[in-house]
Amino acid sequence: MILLILLIITAYLINLVLPWWGIAITGFVLGFQMKPSSGKAFGIGFLALFLLWSGQALYIHLANDGILSTRIAEMLRVGSPILVILITGIVGGLVSGLAVLSGGLVKDSLKKEGKN
Amino acid sequence: MKVFRLALPLILLMGLIYTFNRQISIQIGGETITLPPIGKFVDPESGFWANAEIELSESNELALEGFNGNASVYFDERRVPHIFAENEYDLYFAQGYVVARDRLFQMELQTLDASGRLAEKIGERALSRDKTTRRRGMPYGAEKALETMKQDPKTWEIVNAYADGVNAYLSSLEPKNYPLEYKILDFEPEEWTPIKTAHLLKNMTRTLAGGNNDDRTSNTMEYFGADFIEKFFEAKPELNDPIIPSSKEWDFERIPVEAPDTLFKPASAVELGEYERPEGVGSNNWAVSGSKTKSGYPILANDPHLSLTLPSIWYEVQLRAPGINSYGVTLQGTPGIVIGFNENIAWGVTNVGSDVMDWYEIKFKDETQKEYWHDGKWKPTTMRIEEIKVKDGETVLDTVIYTHHGPVTKVESNINEEQKPVYHALRWIAHEASNDIRAFYGLNRSENYDDYVEALSHYVAPAQNFVFASNEGDIALWVNGKLPNKWEYQGRTVSDGTDPLYDWQGWIPFEHNPHVKNPERGFVSSANQESAAPDYPYYLDDDFAPFERGRRINDKLAAMQDITAKDMQKMQMDSYSYYAETLLPSLLEWVDRDSLSSVDTEILQLMKEWDYFMDGDEIAPSFFRHWSGNFYRAVFYDEYETTEAVLRYPSRDRFVEIIKAEPNFKFIDDIDTDKVETRSEIVTASFHETVAELENYLGEFGDKWKWGYFIDNDIDHLASIPGLGRQNLFSSGSSEAINATRGGFGPSWRMVVELGPEVKGYGLYPGGASGNPGSPNYDFMVDPWRTGQLFELNFMKEEPKEYLYKLELK
Repeated sequence: MILLILLIITAYLINLVLPWWGIAITGFVLGFQMKPSSGKAFGIGFLALFLLWSGQALYIHLANDGILSTRIAEMLRVGSPILVILITGIVGGLVSGLAVLSGGLVKDSLKKEGKN
Repeated sequence: MKVFRLALPLILLMGLIYTFNRQISIQIGGETITLPPIGKFVDPESGFWANAEIELSESNELALEGFNGNASVYFDERRVPHIFAENEYDLYFAQGYVVARDRLFQMELQTLDASGRLAEKIGERALSRDKTTRRRGMPYGAEKALETMKQDPKTWEIVNAYADGVNAYLSSLEPKNYPLEYKILDFEPEEWTPIKTAHLLKNMTRTLAGGNNDDRTSNTMEYFGADFIEKFFEAKPELNDPIIPSSKEWDFERIPVEAPDTLFKPASAVELGEYERPEGVGSNNWAVSGSKTKSGYPILANDPHLSLTLPSIWYEVQLRAPGINSYGVTLQGTPGIVIGFNENIAWGVTNVGSDVMDWYEIKFKDETQKEYWHDGKWKPTTMRIEEIKVKDGETVLDTVIYTHHGPVTKVESNINEEQKPVYHALRWIAHEASNDIRAFYGLNRSENYDDYVEALSHYVAPAQNFVFASNEGDIALWVNGKLPNKWEYQGRTVSDGTDPLYDWQGWIPFEHNPHVKNPERGFVSSANQESAAPDYPYYLDDDFAPFERGRRINDKLAAMQDITAKDMQKMQMDSYSYYAETLLPSLLEWVDRDSLSSVDTEILQLMKEWDYFMDGDEIAPSFFRHWSGNFYRAVFYDEYETTEAVLRYPSRDRFVEIIKAEPNFKFIDDIDTDKVETRSEIVTASFHETVAELENYLGEFGDKWKWGYFIDNDIDHLASIPGLGRQNLFSSGSSEAINATRGGFGPSWRMVVELGPEVKGYGLYPGGASGNPGSPNYDFMVDPWRTGQLFELNFMKEEPKEYLYKLELK
């Protein structure tokens, strides 16, 4: 839970200053530091950015009366602005999930190397 | 194994980031769709979501680097900027700044297109368009225009001020704030330079004076003979009503030109490219004198018809500084106002259909193309190497040969494969040095008729019918631009590139351009029809718009008295079809009633009762336009399709006249059958064809057949990006009506100005000030435009107390 909240906060902050792939850095670092079990790592990472990005998108969608999201839905031929919001969440989630997973695995292997 | 377990997610992660950071092309149903870089694009902080307008801009003071001036920009409730500045530099700086703020992508895309640089930004798919642009000599013309602009200190000052303003905005722009289209197409805005203004003006010339019939007329002459040409392209319909009426007397001798004894016959039937002018690019304007208005002051109206896009080609602005207080619309990338008014005068434009684009068959000495034959000797050519950069591809070098006529294009015959390719040089008004901005600079500041004429003398192209009205009570219209002085019918066919008699031998002096001031009838008007009555001493072209719109305007204005601005707004929405009036009664007479079903009879009854207004709620206009089109095709297509050569089609108005007068006109017969068909048989067959087609296309006869749906009115995004335009706008009007709305073309700006002690303007364009598709302002005027509601224009004499918000540029 703490990891989830930390992921959301750090991703939000780094995204203000770095391009979109900044979320991979915070995901990787937190995965490395906190090392959740491999099974959970991807899931938590995914969920964090899915919630953050689709949440941000949903807020913008509502505040903008759906003007832009409706146009983008038509442009991407996905039919509904809700799907555009979900795609936003999934894209963020995929990157974040993989980043947290990788961070954990790298830490893991370094530890094991240490033991050997 | 461990290494693999470790590496796999990392590789996946890198791969994902890489893939999500670039454009991807996918195939859907045979169509290639290029997707934006998806990760970058959906990022809520810097991707497209950042373009969703959530709150209105706040009033702000902006300290701009390198700007020592001071300008206040007030945005009114429609977000039209009203710029108040203390000097001209600051004024045009601010104009560049606010236009870039609202329309950056549009101004850049248009100039990239006009300079043949699209491929550099969007890749290979634009390469052939870029090549065509360059082979036509668009950048060449812009470079010449730039040199002229440099020589005029005034012009040079304002284009630079404007560029500085655009660049000041650019330097404040972070990637997250780039306009949406940059994020979709994945490129970055670049610095603005004065040559881009020249490109933009040449682009207007391409749009409005980039058509000709040379190859078509030559081929038609060869296949159907000189009689056909005479009948359809020289003789004018009886209802023709030229812009400058025959009451005007010409008090000068024309400057003579020498014509060849026999007309040159080109090597073979060729096609020189897509140069046919699309119907719908045309416009209306008129001015009525105080003797016909309720207020006793003149009223002026203008609606230029262009391809409609979002964002709109126009942008409303008010410019106020010492010596100028002008309101109107501007083209993105051009300082000043193109159509508008000030406290004393109003002006507007429509296009002149003069022939300013001619093709010359060139004879080269040998394959090196270093010399060509002209005036009895070999003359050297020059070479221009066009370097076309391609995004994600190799730079393309394209060598274009220039003769004194202009750039040369190689043309392969599409008829005769054995024939060697021929070479054609293009002589085109867009290649002329020009300083058109100076004309608008003058118009914006004009106080009376003399100022207006002086301003017009600087104007080159595209030639326009400049309508004028002043609060001194004058009305006027000048058919104006730099017009080549030609012998009769010079350049309507492919010209002989070796004979100097085919060269443009000079220009019509400015004072000889057709014009009229305060005519007795109390109004002036133009609708792209023939410029002047046959007694005008110079030849301009044999191809002008059909008489329909022009005559309707003149009919109405002649009958009106006590005119108000409201009347003029109503008239701009008039959808009366002269085409239907002149043709439909005959079609109804000729159709064979014995062959009709009950639905057919019902349709025919509907047609009979129809009042010829192209009203969206009526079915008759849909049926008439389709039926008359099928009839026209049935008459001509069988003969026209006997050759691969591109041929010139008769105009609608002359066709109607001939088909009514000549029941045995030879083209009526369908040559693909043994039988000789009568006019009545062809009309009847096309009637049945029309019913079948409409049923097939729209379903059973009923409300779905209404013209409002059939009119096919779409306003697409400027770069045709799906989702960013407006489709299927139910509307009234037609290409032959004053409200010339049809198939994505139509009135791109409607304006009515009532002169007087307090000038009053009304207007709108289908769009909004903001070019941001994520703003409600982007297309908010589309529906008022569709229904013909004009907004009162907020012409400010002083800096306002009330406004939506304000920017202080310092």
